[in-house]
Amino acid sequence: MHLTGLDHLFWAAGLGAHLILLFVLLTRRRFRVFPIFTAFIISNIGRTAALFSVQFYGTKTSYFYTYWSLTVLDVVLQLSVVYEMYSLTFRPLGVWARDLRRPFVWLVALSIALAAGLTWLATPHARLWMQVVVIKGSFFSATCMSELFVGMLVLAVRSGLPWKTHVARISQGFGVYSIIDVLIEAGHSYFGVGRNTQTYTMLSHLRMSAYLACVAYWVIMLWRNAPEPRKLPESLRGQLIRLQNVVDSDLERIRVRKSW
Amino acid sequence: MVNSRMVVFLIAVAILVTVLMVIAAYSLRRVRRSSQRDWEGLLKRLTAVDRGSIAEVALDIIDESGQQRRDETSATLDPAEIWKLVGGLEGLEALEANCAVLIDLAFYVQQWYPEALAVAEQLRLSAREIEWHVERLRGAQKTGKLESAFPMYAQRAVATYYLMTRRVLALYERGNLAMLADLEKAL
Repeated sequence: MHLTGLDHLFWAAGLGAHLILLFVLLTRRRFRVFPIFTAFIISNIGRTAALFSVQFYGTKTSYFYTYWSLTVLDVVLQLSVVYEMYSLTFRPLGVWARDLRRPFVWLVALSIALAAGLTWLATPHARLWMQVVVIKGSFFSATCMSELFVGMLVLAVRSGLPWKTHVARISQGFGVYSIIDVLIEAGHSYFGVGRNTQTYTMLSHLRMSAYLACVAYWVIMLWRNAPEPRKLPESLRGQLIRLQNVVDSDLERIRVRKSW
Repeated sequence: MVNSRMVVFLIAVAILVTVLMVIAAYSLRRVRRSSQRDWEGLLKRLTAVDRGSIAEVALDIIDESGQQRRDETSATLDPAEIWKLVGGLEGLEALEANCAVLIDLAFYVQQWYPEALAVAEQLRLSAREIEWHVERLRGAQKTGKLESAFPMYAQRAVATYYLMTRRVLALYERGNLAMLADLEKAL
């Protein structure tokens, strides 16, 4: 695989941006709240370094296996980051909010079905079957991610659960990047990979630029502190507890009639 | 040459991306509004309901303390009367809107007073449940089942809404919060 100066520049920029983000996560102690997100960033650094080394010193076969193993890990970690963001938003008391369990199932099922349907429709032109798998796999992953992040936003709004500042920023970054990525991967499917890879490479550079912008956004937002919580007056706390107790006991009376 | 399946693919992707962007923009606007809202902003969103009618429906089966009435004069309203007193579909919409405000109240507490997370989350769940019951009432009304299927249920749900709003008022009253008069008007 021949790499141009621009490819090397993107490679170096990606590595540098991830290192800066990792520095922010560690020095601002964000890794305690976002361990999976931190693992995702570390894996990206390791992935870049590993692929770069294999590219220079390894064989085509070793690059192939390294690339695929790390891509699988990347997808798993991305889905884990989605889980982490959902967990931080929809488990305010350590358990999943009971009013959201059914919507979650629907959201995941609908996201997978839509992404699978669209992926099935795509018929990218490629010389090797492996290239088709890469294009379709990337499109499926981007579509799922964008749906899950937008779905998360909708559920948070509908249920009335606040998005904590940094969760919101990470999710927004991922969401915007995923939507852009859907368009780029659709472009990959449309143009395919022929003998001339110029369009494919240009779209890949566009995707990398979008991702770098997203990492820069995370660096700035995670460096900043969330707004300070306010102190709840003792009288208000007592009344909130009383309010909830009576509301809960009121609800018991109508729950028994849910069966009709 | 682009095949027809690819054209369908591109159209489907364009629709999906547009829908996602519209939904995300709308939801972000709502999040931003909710985050910037203060107590006064919350109150402005409350829809005025006929408190007298709601109370009449509720107090037909419960007393002011929320206990079930078992005397001879209890549960005398018929379904048609209940529906009329609630104000029909418009009345139910007002109840739904006010449940949404109660959810926002919980949102506000969770956002700014994380130490009160537990109680605010319970309050949110309760408000969500009342909202769900009201939604079912609306659904049954639309399918014409209100009268036959659950007159008692309708009354219970209205009674629960009534009690919950009484408790919210009490919360403000005891908390010595300034906007009690506005809240009383709206609820």
